[in-house]
Amino acid sequence: MTSRLALAAALLIATPAIAQQAATTGTIVGTVRDSAGAPVAGAKVEAVGAAFTLTGIDGRFRLKDVPAGPARLHVDAFFYQPDSGVVTVPPGDSVVWDVTLHRRAIFIDGGVVVTADKRPESIENVAASVDVLSDTAIIRHAVITLDEAVNRVPGVQFVNGQVNIRGSSGFEQGLGARVLLLVDGVPMNEADRGGIDWDLVPVDDAERVEVVKGAGSSLYGSAALGGVVNIITRDIPEGIHGRVRFFGGGFANPPDSLWKFRSYTGTQGGGSLTGSFGTDQFRGALTVAGRHSDGYRQQDASDHLQVAGRGEWLPDPVTHVLFTGTWATHQYQVPLAFCGPNLCENMRGLAYQPFLVDTADSGNHTRSDHGYLTATITRTPDENTTWMGRASWLRTHFTDFQKAGNDFAVADRFGAEGRIVTTPTPGQTVTVGGELTGNQVASDIFGTHTQEQFAAYGEGERVVGKVRLTAGARTDFLADDGGGLSAVISPRLAAVVPSGLGIWRVSVGRGFRAASMGEKYPQVPVPPFRVVQDPSLKPETAWSGELGNTAVITPWLSTNAAIFYTKATDYISPELVADSIQFQNVSHARLAGLDLSVTASPFTPNLTTSLSYTYLDARELAHDTVPNRPLPFRPRHLLTLSADYVMGPASIGADFRYSSRFERVELYETDPRVAAKTLDLRAGWRLGAFDLRVLATNALNYVYTLAPRTLEPVATVTMTVTYVY
Amino acid sequence: MRVTESPVKLTERRKWPDCLEMRRLRYLLLVLVLGCNDGLQPATICDPSIGAVTGHVTFRGTEPDSTLGLYIVAYSTFPQSRTDLFNFLPFPPQALQVPQTGDSVSAYAMCLPNNQYHWVLAVWAKVGLNVGDTANADAHLMEAGYYRDPADTSKPGVVTVHSPGTSGIDFVLDFNNMHSVSYFFP
Repeated sequence: MTSRLALAAALLIATPAIAQQAATTGTIVGTVRDSAGAPVAGAKVEAVGAAFTLTGIDGRFRLKDVPAGPARLHVDAFFYQPDSGVVTVPPGDSVVWDVTLHRRAIFIDGGVVVTADKRPESIENVAASVDVLSDTAIIRHAVITLDEAVNRVPGVQFVNGQVNIRGSSGFEQGLGARVLLLVDGVPMNEADRGGIDWDLVPVDDAERVEVVKGAGSSLYGSAALGGVVNIITRDIPEGIHGRVRFFGGGFANPPDSLWKFRSYTGTQGGGSLTGSFGTDQFRGALTVAGRHSDGYRQQDASDHLQVAGRGEWLPDPVTHVLFTGTWATHQYQVPLAFCGPNLCENMRGLAYQPFLVDTADSGNHTRSDHGYLTATITRTPDENTTWMGRASWLRTHFTDFQKAGNDFAVADRFGAEGRIVTTPTPGQTVTVGGELTGNQVASDIFGTHTQEQFAAYGEGERVVGKVRLTAGARTDFLADDGGGLSAVISPRLAAVVPSGLGIWRVSVGRGFRAASMGEKYPQVPVPPFRVVQDPSLKPETAWSGELGNTAVITPWLSTNAAIFYTKATDYISPELVADSIQFQNVSHARLAGLDLSVTASPFTPNLTTSLSYTYLDARELAHDTVPNRPLPFRPRHLLTLSADYVMGPASIGADFRYSSRFERVELYETDPRVAAKTLDLRAGWRLGAFDLRVLATNALNYVYTLAPRTLEPVATVTMTVTYVY
Repeated sequence: MRVTESPVKLTERRKWPDCLEMRRLRYLLLVLVLGCNDGLQPATICDPSIGAVTGHVTFRGTEPDSTLGLYIVAYSTFPQSRTDLFNFLPFPPQALQVPQTGDSVSAYAMCLPNNQYHWVLAVWAKVGLNVGDTANADAHLMEAGYYRDPADTSKPGVVTVHSPGTSGIDFVLDFNNMHSVSYFFP
C-alpha cells in the first residue's frame, strides 16, 4: 500500500515535467525509398544536433524527442546520394518526412573530416591532403581487416603489413611506424615497438577511415611524421539494432605445380555480430568477431577472436561521454622467411620456393593479445566553445613461440589529453590542448623501460577574405626511464585558397618521431647477426611541405593533385656494425613526389572510374662513406585504376594496382623481385537489409614479394554477407 | 501535419560507350591481363649453361625403415654392365624427398648437361651402403622406378635436355616393387 502511494505521488510530481517535455519536443516519422520506390533499409536519418536513427527493412524511421521548431534533417545510405531537408517539428505532435534517394555513381568520400585539425570541418577547408574511406567504400571492397581497405588509398602502400604513406616507413619489421594510428582520435601505436595493430577495430565497426598525408606532428606529436590514419567507429542509433556479417573463401594454389606445398586448397572464414541498444541518454553496442585462415603459404594459419564494446552517455544536449574498449587475441604461425637458395631441405631443385619455409622454422607461432580502453568527454557549453578530455590505455602482449626459445613483450601505453576549440570571432578558430603519454615495456628482447612524453599544442585559423590561414605549433618533452627531458618543437603554417581553378592548399611543417623502445633497447640474436641496443638514439625529424589543388572540372570529372617534399634529419635506420645490427641516426633522407587523382563518371552516371598515381623519389642522402642512393623498399611509381558500375541493386567493380619494382632493398638484395601488379574484381548485390559481396583479390594470381623473403597474397576469392537490422 | 519533400534533380543522361570506346576498354583489359602475367616464376638452381629435368614422382607403397636416401639419376646410355652403373649424372646424385604433407606426389628438379638420357630413374639406397663397392651395391641399391616411354611403358623413356630445362618427366616410385642390381645384371 505504501509503495502504491509512493508511486502515485511520484507520478503526480512527474506528470507536469513529462507534459512540459512533451510540449517542447516532437517526433519525425517517414520512409526512405529509392527512385524505383523500393524501401531503403539501414539508411541513417539524422536530425542534425538532436538525434539519429536507422531505417528498418521497410525503409521507415521514427525520430523521437526532437526539439520543436525547425529541424534540419540529413539522410545517408550506401550507394545513394545523401539528401537533406528542413521540417518544422510541432510541439507534442509528429511530422512526416518522406525521402526519395537517388543512386549515386561516384562514391564521393568526403564531407566533414575530423582528423586534420582535431575538430570537425569541411574537407574543402583542410590544408592537408586527406582521403576518406567511407563505410560504403569499406563494404564495397569486402575487406576482412581494415589495413586491406587503407591499402587502397592513393599514395598508401603496405609492405608486409607496415604502412607507408608517400613512402614514409619503408620496411623495418613493423618497428617504428612513421604513421600514427588513431581510433576515434585516440593514439594507438604500440608502446614498445611503435608499430600498429590493424585489427584493433573489427572491420564492421568502422564507420570511416580518414587518412591525412604528410607531417601531422604539429597537432599529434611523435609518429605522425608521414601521416595520420584515424579509424572512426560507428555511432549508436536509438532503439535496438544489429549487424551480422559472415565471410568465407579460399586461396588459389601456386600458379606453378613446382611450388605446390600442400594437397588441399586453403580456406578462410569468419564473422562478426554486433548488437546495439540506444535511448536518448544511454547507448551501448557490443561486437563479437572471429576468423580463421589457413593462409596461402606454408605455416601461415591464423586465428583471431575479438570483443569490442562502445558506450555513450548523453546527460544533456551539449555533453557527450564516450567509452570504448576492445580485446583481441590473435594467434598466427610465423613464416618469417621463405626458402631461398640452399636454405631448405625440400627445395626440389628450385632456386627459391616462396611458398615454403625452412623446416627449422616449422612450428614457430605467435600469440598476440591486445586491447584498449578509452573514455572521452566532449562538451559544447556554448556555440563558440567545445572542450574535450580523454584518457586511454592500450595494452599489447605478444609471445613468440620458437624452437630456439620463446620471446615476449608486455607493453602499456597510457594517454590523456585535454583540448579546447573556440571561435572567439566569426572566421577565427583557436585550438589549444595538452597531452600526456606514458609507455612502459617488460620484455626479454627490449628489457624493462619506460618512456614519457608531455606536450602542449596550439593552432589558430583565420579567414582573411577568401583565404583560410592556419598557424600552429606543438612542443613535446620526451624522457626515458625518468631521465632528463629533451624537447622537440613542431611548427606548421598552412593556407587554403579557393579560386577559379579549384581549391589550392599549401602547407609547411615539421614532424618528428621518437625512437621506439623496440629500436632503442633491443638485445636479440637474429642469426647470423645480433641486434644490439643504442640508448642514445635521438628522435628523427623532418620538414615537410605540400602544394595541392582540388578541382571539379565538370559535374562528372574531378581532380585532386599535390606535390610534396620532405627532408628528414637523423633518420633512424638499422645499420650493420661488425657482426651486429643497430638502429642509428645515421642517414638523412629526402622524399619528394606527386600525387594525382582523377575521378570521373563518363558515359553514364552509373559508372565511376578513378585513376590515382603517386610518383615518389625517395633518396637516402650521402653521408660518411655512403653515397646518395634510393631509400629501400620504396616504389617510384604507384598506380591504381578503379571502375565501378551500379545496376539497380547490383554492382560490379575492379581495381588494378601497380607498384614499380623497388630500386633498393635490404637483405637478400640479389633475390629476384618484380613490380607488383594486382587485379581485384568485385561484385555485389543489395537486397533490402542484406548485402552480398564477392571479391577476387589478385585475381590473376600474380606472385610477388615486397619485403625480403615474404610473399604477398595470392589470388583469393571471398564471399561476404551482411545483414543490418 | 504532413510535409513531403520530393527534391527534383536534373541529371543529363549521357550516352553509352560507343563501339570504339568499348574496344578501347577491351584493349585496356587485355593489356592489364597480360601485364599481370609476369610475376615471380620458378627458377632452377642449375647453371644457365646446363638444363634442369623437372617432374613429379608419384609414391606408392611404404618407405622402408632402412632407407638411407632416395636419389634421382640419369644415364646417357643404358648401362651395359655393373661398372657402368657408376656413369650416372648428376654427381653427387640428386636427393629426392618423400612428401611430408600427406600428398603422394613430389616435384623434383635435377641439373644435367644438355644431352639425351636413356634411363632416368629413382634409386633407393639402404643404410650401410658402401659407395663404390659394386658387390655391396647389389644389396644396398635398388631401382625404385623410372621414367617410361609414353608410347611403350614397358621401356625406359628417352629424355632430351636442353637448357633451361625439360619438364614433365614424371614417373612412379614404388617401394613395393624395387629391383636390385642383379635384376638387370644377373
